[in-house]
Amino acid sequence: MDSLDEMLLEVKDTSELMIDLAYSSLLYSNRDIAEEVFSMEETVDEMVTQIQNEAINKVLEDRNVPKALAIVRLSTALEEISDAAMMIADVVLRELQPHPVIQLSLRESEVIITTAQVQEESILVNRTLGDVKLATQSGMWVIAIKRDRRYIYGPDEFTTIAAGDVLFARGPKDGEAYFKDIASGAVRV
Amino acid sequence: MPYKAGEHAHERVDKVSKSVRELLTQMKDTSEVIVDLAYAALMFDSEEIGAEVKKLEEEMDTLKYEIRIKAMLATRNKRDAVQLSGLLQIASAAEAISNAAGDIVKLLDLEIEKRPFLTFVLRDAEEKIRMLTVSDKSDMQNRSIQDLSVESETGMRIIAVKRGKRWVYDPDDTTNLKAGDILIVRGTEDGCRTLRRYAAGEAKWPAYPQEGS
Repeated sequence: MDSLDEMLLEVKDTSELMIDLAYSSLLYSNRDIAEEVFSMEETVDEMVTQIQNEAINKVLEDRNVPKALAIVRLSTALEEISDAAMMIADVVLRELQPHPVIQLSLRESEVIITTAQVQEESILVNRTLGDVKLATQSGMWVIAIKRDRRYIYGPDEFTTIAAGDVLFARGPKDGEAYFKDIASGAVRV
Repeated sequence: MPYKAGEHAHERVDKVSKSVRELLTQMKDTSEVIVDLAYAALMFDSEEIGAEVKKLEEEMDTLKYEIRIKAMLATRNKRDAVQLSGLLQIASAAEAISNAAGDIVKLLDLEIEKRPFLTFVLRDAEEKIRMLTVSDKSDMQNRSIQDLSVESETGMRIIAVKRGKRWVYDPDDTTNLKAGDILIVRGTEDGCRTLRRYAAGEAKWPAYPQEGS
């Protein structure tokens, strides 16, 4: 993969994280997360501009027009997705609380968002996300971690979990109970 | 939706807001699966999956039209208007996502030999999209997705099933899996390895003791 492919991939992963974060901000009326979605959108815009610049510059060398076209179109679509995430997060930043139906609807969705606080006795403490394979074990994908007043957005396999962390996760409804039990220390396998 | 004479206003509103909720849920669910399907269409170079994405994109237009009308009917005062306009903004975002998915599958129209790089790029995405087959040795066969709890067990979400020539997209939880089914799944790399072993019949699907026994 060259640097252009890597940037494209990064924008793709970010656009997906942004959607999940936007729905989380709505579900919990969380302005911090909503604002993070806005700042990610700026980053995506910059990266998309850079990707498109590079793709066009490359055509001048290799004349591979369809490839450049594919990159330009895909990156534009990814930018549209990140804009949509911003539209969702924007609702949180309005003066009135989001309509209660929105939260009900998010809870009824096929893919839900949930949170759990990691207790001292949890097996997650001092282990990395890659190590505990939470997503594989429970289907719940950690999209953000709140540690004291700070947030870690889009944690990766090397992120270490600490006692007291609040995990924001996305996944199937029937994975939620296990996820909460693992975090609370009720389940230790 | 026709209203019966004598129905109280608040009952009407409850009915309307219920349907708003259902519509919004459906739009959100569609906006998520449509993006996965769009990437799957690119990765597996599938015109069929691409056609499904276009179909879902059209359905979204209808849903958005319906939710707009329902939301307007549910508006009683300024507060409702403000909150429901926020709700409609989310519906618009879901539609925008599905339009983006439609744009992604349009890449299939580009000359094929120039496109494989996208498959390589997408293969390395954080969340993987993979294809696997249910073997006749697998104990997943003749059981439903719900019964197996595929996603909470393996972290892999089944986004499409191909049985013979037919595709089932975003299959219901009650769908029974059969030997020979081709599954398109999304999730982690090691979740995929695990699921692949179950699907191949190389490992037994985990069984848990019944609660209380």
